[in-house]
Amino acid sequence: MTVGEVTPVEQPADGPFSTRQLLRLDEALRVADQVTGLHFSIYLGPLEEPVRESAEKLHAQTRNPKRAVLIAVSPNQRKLEIITGSDARRRISDRDAKLAGLSMAASFGGGDLAGGLLIGIDQLASHAGRS
Amino acid sequence: MSVISTVLVFVIIPAAIIAAIATLVLAGSDRSKPDRRYRPGRPYDFPAMWFTATPQHVAPAGDAYTSGLIIEDSSGSPVRPGPTGGASDSW
Repeated sequence: MTVGEVTPVEQPADGPFSTRQLLRLDEALRVADQVTGLHFSIYLGPLEEPVRESAEKLHAQTRNPKRAVLIAVSPNQRKLEIITGSDARRRISDRDAKLAGLSMAASFGGGDLAGGLLIGIDQLASHAGRS
Repeated sequence: MSVISTVLVFVIIPAAIIAAIATLVLAGSDRSKPDRRYRPGRPYDFPAMWFTATPQHVAPAGDAYTSGLIIEDSSGSPVRPGPTGGASDSW
């Protein structure tokens, strides 16, 4: 598996993004990981109720949850969750995460999924700073 | 203005412009292609996806998650014992 590859949970080559948007997301994730030393990932799909707990379960599935930052977005429920691990939380405070969440929700409300995700990654990575 | 130039200016040229626009309208779009863009309020029926720059960091489901004791603060909302932070929002 190459670095930055999209991992489809069920069925490949079908999603709301164009190839160009996927490339930009890939680039944003890669740069954010390199610069901050944290592990950013995006989950896009349904979340079980309660939403926060199921997003935390997803976050716990990463190999190194302490350094992981998960952005979980459920377009059908119109909910987004940002989960930061204990190490990541020292770099990205909950206030900063809320600020990024607000920008993302504004973009999603306008129907721009890819743009909102890019803004969110950018803000979280800027708040985290260099490793 | 002769009859021929009157007909040219008031009939043939407008007819040509109308024909050109009508052709563009009828030939322009392929409506059979499904719209892949997300729009708020419309159902989103794509499979779940997980994007990450480091796929080797994702473990199989079901390990590492341990739920702890639920503590409540003065307002009655649960205080999560886990060390994770972050934020929630909806739109």
